Amino acid sequence: MPEIFSISPTPVTAHAFNADRSQLAVSLNSNDAQILTHNGSQWAATEMLTEHDKTITSIDWAPNSNQIVTASQDRNAYVWQQSPDPKTGTIVWKPTLVLLRINRAATHVRWSPKEDKFAVASGDRAIAICSFDPENNWWVSKLLKKPIRSTVLAVDWHPNNVLLAAGSADMKARVLSAFIKEIDERPAAGVWGSKLPFNTICAEFASAAGGWVHGVAFSPSGDVLAFVSHDSSISIAYPGGPVHNIRMPTLPLVTLTWTTEDSIVAAGHDCQPLVFSGSDAGWQEIGTLDDGSHAASKTGPGLTGRLNKSGAFGAFQNADSRGQSSITSTDTKLLTIHQNTITSIRPYQGAPGQVTQVSTTAVDGKLVIWDTASVSALTGRMAAMSM
Amino acid sequence: MDGAFRKIDIDAFDEDIIQESELYEADPRDPAQVLEEARARQSSVRGFLSKNDVVGALTTVLENAPYGPNVEDAKTISLQTLLSILNNTKSTEISNVVKSLSMDCQDTLMKYLYKGMAMSAWADSNASVLLSWHEKLTEIAGTGCIVRTMTDRRTV
Repeated sequence: MPEIFSISPTPVTAHAFNADRSQLAVSLNSNDAQILTHNGSQWAATEMLTEHDKTITSIDWAPNSNQIVTASQDRNAYVWQQSPDPKTGTIVWKPTLVLLRINRAATHVRWSPKEDKFAVASGDRAIAICSFDPENNWWVSKLLKKPIRSTVLAVDWHPNNVLLAAGSADMKARVLSAFIKEIDERPAAGVWGSKLPFNTICAEFASAAGGWVHGVAFSPSGDVLAFVSHDSSISIAYPGGPVHNIRMPTLPLVTLTWTTEDSIVAAGHDCQPLVFSGSDAGWQEIGTLDDGSHAASKTGPGLTGRLNKSGAFGAFQNADSRGQSSITSTDTKLLTIHQNTITSIRPYQGAPGQVTQVSTTAVDGKLVIWDTASVSALTGRMAAMSM
Repeated sequence: MDGAFRKIDIDAFDEDIIQESELYEADPRDPAQVLEEARARQSSVRGFLSKNDVVGALTTVLENAPYGPNVEDAKTISLQTLLSILNNTKSTEISNVVKSLSMDCQDTLMKYLYKGMAMSAWADSNASVLLSWHEKLTEIAGTGCIVRTMTDRRTV
């Protein structure tokens, strides 16, 4: 049973849970990040992180060091740490500005697995790799620039803390080395290469039909890369081996996460999390986590991106063929739980490689927690294009 | 407030501007060769049509379709060839024909349908045919097929 929380009337741009899942950091399409605390049945706002002066685009919460990093269109990132307020003594989140040295918006941010550095994707055709310099007590940024040709939309860390995957609006997904010699130990040779100085290009994959790469993710072992792109397709790339591409008949996916070494959950403009399964021999879509039984209405316009004769399509068609200009159906509820684009999907419960639950947030302001085991086939009502 | 500054192409002041050619892999074939192939296909399509093999004719014209710059003539010939096939197919057959096409061919067919609709001089005489093919193709290949037509820089 998916757990559904309406956390905001506004879109949720990004979300990140703390280690024990008792608190949640969200950005509600504004300049502020909110800390929400679970009070048994609902998520209540308990603290506001206000420092950015443009919309926050991404949030990540380091589980072990309990630090939050936020990235924003104001070209800055802040690292937030809990410390006692000097006047009142209460524990509050204190920001530290990180000079990213980029002159376009920051688009996505992720802590590395060891939490000693983080990567910030940006519209400046660069990725800022930030690590802490204890001598000067600040975060220093080193830029990955080549061969990125356009805005970087997503990043994901390899479990070895050195390699970074990046998806970009130049239609490519890349694997790059983010090795910082001051803090990283030399990584063992792996499938992506043996010598890995900073900015080594380990692999480059183009999206099948030329779409922006919205999301990238390494498999739990780090040996496989999956990415979703705006040509409504998902690609699973094996270094030096096959690249499997699955074309969807629906609207594009924008975010994805691996649940086990042979399965992926991905979601996007289609408003429901889809499950893919496979191995180096081949991949296929096996179903959806949204079985459609939670829909408030059974007679709505169906699914987004499907052709149907109710909703807006029907209204215009009636106007055209019968000269009726009034909208006959006011019911615009979709059959899916999320009522708008899912912007972020993240592992919620379970160790990497054995994820049992994932969380999604969407433009409809909802947070949903899904069991990855309850996959239902994408047949009948949920898949049908009710013409 | 005057919004004219928003129309300034700020990328033009960037030395390292991204070029159209970097967005997709160029067709390895020579433009003259592409044109020749397009003409050859035109005649083989006539052969398929005389045998009433619409799927064979469509596959011939949709596989390795010309794309990219400098092949405008080949593109025009291919579109003409394709329209002659579409016009020669009974509307009751369309669904079955589309179903037997590969996904690549379905995507390319959608590109041609939009190209056909965009060319006003041709669209006028072919509008109903293009629209009925579009309807059937979308039923089978989904909205994803339309999304790919919009995103793919390898325009036909």
